Amino acid sequence: MLNRLKVLRAERNWSQGDLADRLGVSRQSINAIETGKYDPSLPLAFKIARLFGQPIEAIFHDGAADAPGA
Amino acid sequence: MSTLEKRPYFTRTRLIQFAVGMVVGGLAGYGVGQLAAEIRLADDWRWSDALGMIVACLLFTLGAVMLVASFNRRAIGAMLDPGDPRPAGPPQVRLARQQGWVLALGGAMMAAPILAASLGLPYGLRAAALAGLIALFIVQTVFNLAFWQSADEVMRRMVGEVSLICFWVLQGALFLWAAGEKLGLAPALSTWDCLTVLMIFYLAVSAVIGFRRGFA
Repeated sequence: MLNRLKVLRAERNWSQGDLADRLGVSRQSINAIETGKYDPSLPLAFKIARLFGQPIEAIFHDGAADAPGA
Repeated sequence: MSTLEKRPYFTRTRLIQFAVGMVVGGLAGYGVGQLAAEIRLADDWRWSDALGMIVACLLFTLGAVMLVASFNRRAIGAMLDPGDPRPAGPPQVRLARQQGWVLALGGAMMAAPILAASLGLPYGLRAAALAGLIALFIVQTVFNLAFWQSADEVMRRMVGEVSLICFWVLQGALFLWAAGEKLGLAPALSTWDCLTVLMIFYLAVSAVIGFRRGFA
C-alpha cells in the first residue's frame, strides 16, 4: 500500500512525533506506515483521513490505477 | 531540525547506547560466570541450563536497564526511539516501565528454577520456590496485559506475528522431534529443554519482526 502521509505531514510542517501524538500512536508506527512497512487498520486510516481532512483514497492507494491495463 | 531529514543509522546516541549495552552486558555475563563458578553449578548443568541462564541474564539486564532509564524521560526517549529527539511522553514512559517489568520478571523467572534445582534444596524449599514462581508469573501476566492494552496497533500486530510464527514453527519442530523420539531416532528432551528453545526462538523472531517494521 502506498501513501502520501509524508507529503501531507511536510505540508503542515509536522514531525513524525507531532503526527503520532495527534493519532495516539508511537512515532515508530508513523515511520512504519510512511515507509510502507505497515498498512494501517481501517479505523486508523479513517482517523488519519479525518485529521488531514481528505478522503482515505486521497491518502492511501494500492498502485492498481498506475498499473498497465488498469 | 526537521525530522523529515534522513538520519544516519549509526548516530552518536546509538553508538553510546551500543557501548553502554556492551559494558552492562559484559559485566552481567561476568557476574553470572563468577556466580556459577562460585557455587560450582556449571559441572552439573545441561545445555538448556546454560542457555537458559544466558537468556535469563539477557532478559533481566534489558528489563533492569529499561526500568532505570524510565526514570529519566530523555534517556528512555533516546533508548526507545533514537529517531525522535524529544523526551519520552507519559504514555511512552508507562509502556517502557511495563515492558521493563515484563522483561526483568521474565529473566528472574527463567533463572530461578535453574538455580534452585542446582542448589539441591529440600522438598519444602523447592515447593516454596515454585509457589513464588507462580506468584511472579501472575504479576508478570498482569504487566503483560497492561502492556498489550497500552500498545498501539502496530505493536499489537508485531506481537501477533511473533506469536503466529513461533506457534507454527515450534509445533512443527516439536512434532518432528517427538516422532523421531518415538521411533528411537532422536534423544529425549525435557520440558525445560523445550522451554529454552522456545524462548531463544521467540527472542530471535521478535528481533527480526521488530527490525522489519523499523522498530530496531
